[in-house]
Amino acid sequence: MIPDDPQELNALAGEYVLGVLDGDAAREIEAALDKNDALRRAVIFWEERLHGLSPLAPPASPPPGVWDNIAARIASKKATALSPLWNSLVLWRSSTALAAAAAAALALYIAVMPPSGPRFVAVLRAPQQDQPAWVATAGGQGLLLHAVAGEAAPRDRAFELWAIAPGAPSPKSLGVIPANGRLELGTLPAAIRAGSTLAISIEPKGGSPTGQPTGPVVFTGALVAAR
Amino acid sequence: MKIRSISSSAAPIAARASMDKAAESGHRGGAKGGVAGLMDKPTASLSSVRDLIEAVQGGSQAALKRLYEIESRRLFGIALRILRRPELAAEAVQDAFVQVWQRAASFSPERGDAAAWLTAIVRYRALDMIRKSGREILSDDPTLGDVAEAPDIVERLDLKLAQGALRRCLGELDDNQRRCIVLAFVEGLTHAEIAERLPAPLGSVKSWVRRGLIALRSCLEP
Repeated sequence: MIPDDPQELNALAGEYVLGVLDGDAAREIEAALDKNDALRRAVIFWEERLHGLSPLAPPASPPPGVWDNIAARIASKKATALSPLWNSLVLWRSSTALAAAAAAALALYIAVMPPSGPRFVAVLRAPQQDQPAWVATAGGQGLLLHAVAGEAAPRDRAFELWAIAPGAPSPKSLGVIPANGRLELGTLPAAIRAGSTLAISIEPKGGSPTGQPTGPVVFTGALVAAR
Repeated sequence: MKIRSISSSAAPIAARASMDKAAESGHRGGAKGGVAGLMDKPTASLSSVRDLIEAVQGGSQAALKRLYEIESRRLFGIALRILRRPELAAEAVQDAFVQVWQRAASFSPERGDAAAWLTAIVRYRALDMIRKSGREILSDDPTLGDVAEAPDIVERLDLKLAQGALRRCLGELDDNQRRCIVLAFVEGLTHAEIAERLPAPLGSVKSWVRRGLIALRSCLEP
């Protein structure tokens, strides 16, 4: 319950900004911020006034590499950084621009495939980029993904490959991509079928700790059946 | 990732002063049309945090980098004080700057203090992380000696804080209220953690924080 009484409201907002509230109470405030102008003003009041206490924390230099990681995270995903995987896929799927650029890369790939080989191919690219960055081929013998543009994960991070099958509730990890930019799977994952989408996210070294993408999705591509 | 409030509506009085300052510096292009112009200027010439955030709103990654150069030591210090471990503090700063990049558009010019906005983003991120990872594990590091630092911080208020309303009003609180508020803000402690640190009964701590905030508010904005 967010109180109406101004004094109570201000005290609660102050506790929220200090961070002493428990998780449920903090979430209740966050949920109310958009609609409750008085609460929002009270929170801003405390954010601005208590900021005056921040000189009590002595400044210190962040370790090297922090900026590089920030730059990688925002550059890899200018428009959709950190947006949910599904959103970026919807965005991507609704784009018709992908077809032409993909076709050239696919044609080359299909041409060099062994005849008994892959049934599916995908070209992965960064959102709103035309340049293909990865190509995946998949079939009875498994899956092969490799970098075509020499993409490298940020320092201390790794790329992880995901498959999203149509109608599946969540992405399925296909594994962390080795630093040489080449990932091979000996069997065909069940999540690979017509209409599936492949996605690559930036994760901690060793892969997502949660089994779901935790970092930004930086490349996506739809699997298409190859004849 | 959950992003805490950092709401962006009015704080008109405080805003006035810093906007005037920005106008004097000559970098501020005036409303939205100026933002694009800002991006074309050498970013190094943008000095105020507010100018830089406005350039970031316009999509300038160079401005974000400059903001990082200017503010990262301060923000890392804040996160480190809460999280205690440099690698966690680095992650908090990283996440915070990515949020700044994404949420720059939600920074409204009515907000008084651009640096306070950054402080809030970093603190909320660090608080989320500490609540998730659990402080018990973190406070084991003997080199940090955090118990010994507690009274120290509060005693140094007069040395560290700029002269002004906040320092004066904190001075008017009773010792327990002041200590609780400062510990909560700087160290990111919960009620229970403050109670353990002081030590004092939980109920007393809750009431000190609350009464301290009420007194602080009426002193700061009578």
